[in-house]
Amino acid sequence: MSRPNWSLVDLAARLLERDEREAVLGDLVEARESAWEGLFGVLGLVVRRQALLWKSCRPWLAGFGVALPNSFLLMGASLSVSWSYQQLLCPNLLREASLTLGSGLMVLFYQAVLLTGWAWTGGFVVGAASRRTLWASTLLCYSPCLFCLSRFRVESLSRFCLLLFLLPAIWGVRRGLRSSRMKLGSALVLALVITALMIPAWSGGQGWGAPRLSLNWALSLPAWYLVATGRRPGAEPVRN
Amino acid sequence: MLIMLGEFEYLLVTAAAGLGDEAYGAAIREEIETTTGRKCSIGALYTTIERLENKGLLKTWMGDATPQRGGRAKRMVRVTPKGVQAAKDFYDAVMRVSRGASWVAGRSGSAS
Repeated sequence: MSRPNWSLVDLAARLLERDEREAVLGDLVEARESAWEGLFGVLGLVVRRQALLWKSCRPWLAGFGVALPNSFLLMGASLSVSWSYQQLLCPNLLREASLTLGSGLMVLFYQAVLLTGWAWTGGFVVGAASRRTLWASTLLCYSPCLFCLSRFRVESLSRFCLLLFLLPAIWGVRRGLRSSRMKLGSALVLALVITALMIPAWSGGQGWGAPRLSLNWALSLPAWYLVATGRRPGAEPVRN
Repeated sequence: MLIMLGEFEYLLVTAAAGLGDEAYGAAIREEIETTTGRKCSIGALYTTIERLENKGLLKTWMGDATPQRGGRAKRMVRVTPKGVQAAKDFYDAVMRVSRGASWVAGRSGSAS
């Protein structure tokens, strides 16, 4: 058994959960299998595990229902926040938008809160629903980001302003990985705040055109999903 | 409710039951390979163990680490009463369906 080959087996086994990795690597040592047999065995198990996970609708929902479409929309919302911030710094732009400093600050504030809320709830749903397929959801989130970053042509803004949503989204994913459901009360407050903040945007169109506003309602769906799956008071937290 | 095992599930439950307190991944795998003469992959073994555990037919837990396993722990397996019943049902079904077959002792029928 050559050591470099066993390093490959150890590396492949990292794709398994801790207890399973321990048991499988121990079994391979005990059975005195060659490193290559061990590698194929471990990879076979990894493939079977992933295939079983994808039989459920949860990874599909997290990847194609939330991560992919929301990353597109959240990049647009990130751009709006950056644009509102730039308006505040430049009085001419503020005047062109028929805003005062106070109203400009209000627009920036609620856009930033909405962006954080949308990104956090979307991240939470992705983390909770695709615990063991997070790699796929991550890929589905980053591919539109790379696409838009490569085509970003606004000179006055840095292209990285498209990625403002990433920090709250990652925070949400981390919370979702830790507890798969939110407390019902907290989820309800969050969903109501997000929906309430969207109403002035819907009626006044503050910085967002009508088609974008319609699409942005989709961003509030993860918050209501968290309400629908919320943990009732007294119920035990569920880990999946 | 009657749970009908698959062929490999039956082999696994029976091997685990035969090994008793010594039933864990590598031992079950060796038992299946020795008795059937067929290769048993680690992937098939562990995904089946998990499926049977989810059905309540097996119970598993992490055992002690031993030096011959490079200091790694075993995944111990025990067949539950529900698992015993499911294996017995499978065995009975195989016995019943085999009664008319030519290869069953004492018969000379033409099954070909």
